[in-house]
Amino acid sequence: MGLINETVQVVSNQQVGPRLHLMVLDAPAIAAGIQPGQFVHMKVPRMEAHILRRPFSVYVRDVEAGTIDILYQVVGFGTDHMTSLQPGEECELIGPVGAVWNPPAQGRCLLVGGGVGAAPLFMLCESIVASDASVDVVLGAQTEAALVCRDRYAKLLGDEPRCATDDGTYGRAGFCTSLVQEALQQAAEEGAPYDYVAVCGPEPLMKIVAGLAADAGVRCEVSMEKRMACGIGACLSCVVDTVDGKKRACVDGPVFDAGKVVW
Amino acid sequence: MVDMSVNLGGLPMKNPVTTASGTFAAGMEYSDFVDVAALGAVTTKGVSLNGWEGNASPRIAETPSGMLNSIGLQNPGVAHLKEVELPWLAQKGATTIVNVSGHSFSEYVQVIEALEDAPVDAYEVNISCPNVDAGGMTIGTDPNSVTEVVGLCRAATNRPLIVKLTPNVTDITEIARAAEAAGADALSLINTLMGMAIDAERRKPVLARVVGGFSGPAVKPVALRMVWECHKAVKVPLLGMGGISNGTDAVEFMLAGATAVAVGTANFFNPHATQETIDGIYAYCERHGVGRVADLIGALEC
Repeated sequence: MGLINETVQVVSNQQVGPRLHLMVLDAPAIAAGIQPGQFVHMKVPRMEAHILRRPFSVYVRDVEAGTIDILYQVVGFGTDHMTSLQPGEECELIGPVGAVWNPPAQGRCLLVGGGVGAAPLFMLCESIVASDASVDVVLGAQTEAALVCRDRYAKLLGDEPRCATDDGTYGRAGFCTSLVQEALQQAAEEGAPYDYVAVCGPEPLMKIVAGLAADAGVRCEVSMEKRMACGIGACLSCVVDTVDGKKRACVDGPVFDAGKVVW
Repeated sequence: MVDMSVNLGGLPMKNPVTTASGTFAAGMEYSDFVDVAALGAVTTKGVSLNGWEGNASPRIAETPSGMLNSIGLQNPGVAHLKEVELPWLAQKGATTIVNVSGHSFSEYVQVIEALEDAPVDAYEVNISCPNVDAGGMTIGTDPNSVTEVVGLCRAATNRPLIVKLTPNVTDITEIARAAEAAGADALSLINTLMGMAIDAERRKPVLARVVGGFSGPAVKPVALRMVWECHKAVKVPLLGMGGISNGTDAVEFMLAGATAVAVGTANFFNPHATQETIDGIYAYCERHGVGRVADLIGALEC
């Protein structure tokens, strides 16, 4: 679908973890059209001196209810202000923006989500579960309380995702990259190597996972986040360095072939 | 009915509203929101001869009621513009102003020469970009350089020639007079103000290039003052810009002396800003019994 600028309503807005909040928005047009990997560009109300919109990936969408869920982490003025939005308040969303994930139609997929990076992979996970491909999920977070997507993934997969926490309060202690390395290795040893890796999270995590996938000869996609102004491809603020030159994170991405990103 | 047409130095515009170069690309990205043919003109992103990579990231910073950018005139070159964007604009029926950039005097001329057989309605010569090391603002702050480059561009085309001025000078009217004397048909102002933002926690600049161009609603008072000064200093028409987000802002610029106006940073937070500005000017004219929008030009009562 083309882009729309939809006036939407906050349905709920609650803290779900340390600095982590979940906002449900009544956004029927965008909910109907958005695809895994795409994002929305939000004009947050009541912060006029902060003029720019904020881009957010969509965690969950419910086409029937006409809602989308945004999982956001408080990192600055804008996201802090967002926590004050009340049910019923209106904001503007441009969407659906950006390139989609490209999982294989068949074969094995590995999804790696670091921190709030678990959210933009969930719709992808749903689509793979519904396809002829299989999927494993690795999630990493600083601490157990920040693994806020774990339950939803477990329900979707019918099994626990593999988890790591920096402080060892849940799953493997340390970064989730060791779980990724093991998963890739194990799959190769079983003679059923992965066909696809998708990763979203802090840039250092994505860089390491992209490297592990490249070493294992597995196609990998990453979702890049950069400072954005227009969010629709015009201003060239959010460029990502690639082997094909500078590309716009908003419309050429946010999903990129990891092999093309110059880290 | 309000007559919304204006004439910007030989460029007929169906209404006074265009886009500030660099905020609208060539309009394709906004086509889900804006009918480019409904605008007075589309002013395209600055184009150089062979294309530029632009600056390192981060390229933007949000600041109170504004923003900084240091894109660095990233563009794919004039051949791409001719092949892709200009035919699209022509097919849509848009009036097109091409913003021309260069690292040297001769590059400006070469870009214009390359565009002379393309569907272009006017040129805007960018001697005011603060984000490149050669060309741009380094030219636009020196009256002698302005005289020379505008003279060379003037000799290269009979099309309307708009010269875009930087506010980063002691006296903008001195630059305005130099551009007018060298043959500019119109002047556009202001380009962005040089600024910077600092992340105190990290003791680092926010922008990779440290400094950048400041734009948005915060700069409007400076831009209005400079349009008003230039209106008194030169006879050529002015294309006013700097923080225009709606019809009221646009009317203020016209009262200060602008013949036309450009919507810039507002496109980033409101993709409908251009059309809303046109509608807002129209509504103002109706409310004030103004039959011709051109009657607003310089109509400030001091």
